[in-house]
This record gives sequence, structure tokens and C-alpha cells, in this order.
Amino acid sequence: MENNLENIPKNNPFSVPEGYFNESRSRVANAIFLDKLKSRVTSDGFTIPDAYFSELGGEISAAIATENLKVLGSTTEYTVPKGYFEQLQSNIVARTSAKREASVLKLWHSSLMKYASAACFVILSTTGFYFYQQHAPSLKTAYNDMATEQMLYDIDEDVIIDHIRDNNLQQVNATATDVALENYILSNYSQNEIASDL
Amino acid sequence: MKQVEDAEIIAKFSEEKTRDEAFNLLLTKYQQKIYWHIRRLVIDHDDADDLVQDTFIKVWKNLAKFRSDSQLYTWIYRIATNECITFLNKKKQRNNTSLDEVSEELAQTLVESTYFNGDKVQLKLQQAILTLPEKQRLIFNMKYFDDLKYEDIAEITGTSVGALKASFHIAVKKIEAFMLNDDVTF
Repeated sequence: MENNLENIPKNNPFSVPEGYFNESRSRVANAIFLDKLKSRVTSDGFTIPDAYFSELGGEISAAIATENLKVLGSTTEYTVPKGYFEQLQSNIVARTSAKREASVLKLWHSSLMKYASAACFVILSTTGFYFYQQHAPSLKTAYNDMATEQMLYDIDEDVIIDHIRDNNLQQVNATATDVALENYILSNYSQNEIASDL
Repeated sequence: MKQVEDAEIIAKFSEEKTRDEAFNLLLTKYQQKIYWHIRRLVIDHDDADDLVQDTFIKVWKNLAKFRSDSQLYTWIYRIATNECITFLNKKKQRNNTSLDEVSEELAQTLVESTYFNGDKVQLKLQQAILTLPEKQRLIFNMKYFDDLKYEDIAEITGTSVGALKASFHIAVKKIEAFMLNDDVTF
């Protein structure tokens, strides 16, 4: 009799997840803690306003009705002709681009104006050049005099006197005073001459 | 009062003339369960009230498309859970805060709430739950307070039963440590 119980090996065909027995102690401790907790804490402690649940159904129904109205309102309130928005956009673009075009103003309406303007320009340029040529030398001289004068003021008087004494003014009376000598120089020599000698 | 079967609610809802009646039956059957599920996640009553309404508006809009390959109540729980997670994420973004700071904020709301009259141990338990990561908090609440089966929680959260058991185990350990640390006797 092959199917006799004594012929079947005594192996345990069942298995458990890996690490099950290692964690079983902790699992039991958890279960004990939860059991204690549940017996001590029977409710979560939260409360609600009076008659809240009896009114909640009505509030939810009202909220749903409002949602339905929103849907109805958004779909059937107003309509526009077919293709209206495409046309609207192109109309707006056309009008705004027409306004944006810059207007071109012609400065020269006829060729006569061109030639007259050119002639005026030539006359003005020539006249200006002529007057510049006429007045330029006197201006230059004036500028030179001013520069020389400034230079003389900057040089010490004693230097000027010593210089004249050492050069061509030796025939002048040596007994003359400095004031007389200065007067003599200023009355007999131009500022340019003194500046060039110095 | 005899509870109406989900199949009956769905069948009535599919008929235009009995749609409102079906929805009233659904509200009567689930509004409290869904409210408490949401309330434990967002703590504040007014926030929970808004989210319950949002949840049932979504249920109303989508119930006609509901396929019976899942249970009606796990489907509603799933909608409610998603609403809560979206709400908490928005809260995080709006206040530019981390998850830990949101938990602290919720714990503060709990202490200041007019609609919380729990004793010291109940308050301590809620504070301990608020220290958990969002998913562990969700799993602990559904297992401990709602007494849902792991298979149903798996359907609601989209997580495997094995992972759920591990999460619940870790959550209980953390709560135990939190409560014993504060010398709460029970």
C-alpha cells in the first residue's frame, strides 16, 4: 500500500515569509500595545457641530446643484456665429497693423527746390570762407599779443632788467635808477621785441 | 436601519428618475465614514467640511462611469484620500513649508480646535499620529480607527498588502515610542 501514511515522508510543506520568526516577537508586542491603546482610547476625540450630519446631505446636494448650474451656464448662456473668433482675431490684427505703418513725408516736392537749396548752400559756404580769410590774421596777431603780454607778466622784473644790462643796453647811463630804466624800456621797446630777446 | 447594498445604489443611479434617490442613499450610507476619514487627515473641521463636499461632488460627477471591478466604498475612500493629499500639498506649497512644518501646523490646529474634546491620552495619540509620514498616517488611521481590511486599504492607496503591513508595523512602533517617551500611562 503505497498511500499509507507511514510511507509519506514527514516533511513540513508549509513555509513562511523570510524573517517572519525574527519579527514575530516585535509583532506580538505591537499587538499588545494596540490592544491596550484601543481599550484606553475608544474614540479619536474629534467632535462636530450640533446636527452637522443631518445638514451635511442638504449642503452636498446644494453644492452639486450649484456645480450643475455652472456647467449649464457655461455652455448655453450665449452663442456667437460660426468662425466668429477667427474672424475677430484677423480683424484686430488688420486694424492694428494698418495703424502701425509709418507715413513717409517727401522733403523735396519738386526739382526746383533741390537746385535752389544747393545754390543757397554754395553761397553760404563761400561767404563764410571769405570772411574767415579776411579776419583770421588780425585775430592771430591779437592772440599772439595777449600771449606775449601774459608771458611778460609771468617773468620777474629783475630778470628782465639784468638781461638788458648784460646785452645791448650797456651804453645807457649806469647811474640811472631801476624805475627810470623800466620806463625807458617800456617806452622804447615793444613787448614783442622784449619777448623775442628773452 | 437596514443598509442599502452598493449594487442597488449603483443600479438606481443609472436610471435618470431614481438618480437623486440613489445619491441620497449613498450619502446616508457613506457621509459619516468619509467625513471622519478626512477629518483625521486634515484635523480642522471646516477644512474637512469643504473636502467632504468636494469629494461627493466628484462622486456625483463620476458615479455613472463607475465600474464594479472595485468596491464602491473603496472607490469613494480613494477619491476622498486624493482630495486630502491634494489639499495638504497645496497647503505645503502655499505656506512654502516642509511636511514636518505642516504636521506641526496640524498639531497646533488640534490643540486650538473648538471641535476636539479628547483627554490627555487621546490628544497624545493624535499628536503621535501627526509625527508620522503622510502615507503611514493614512494607513494607521484606516486600520486603527476605520478598521478596514488590508486588502481594502491596498485598493484605496494603491499599495501592496505586504508593504501596508510593514508600514503599519513601523507606524505602531513610532507611536508607542512617542507615547511612552511622554510617560503617558494607560
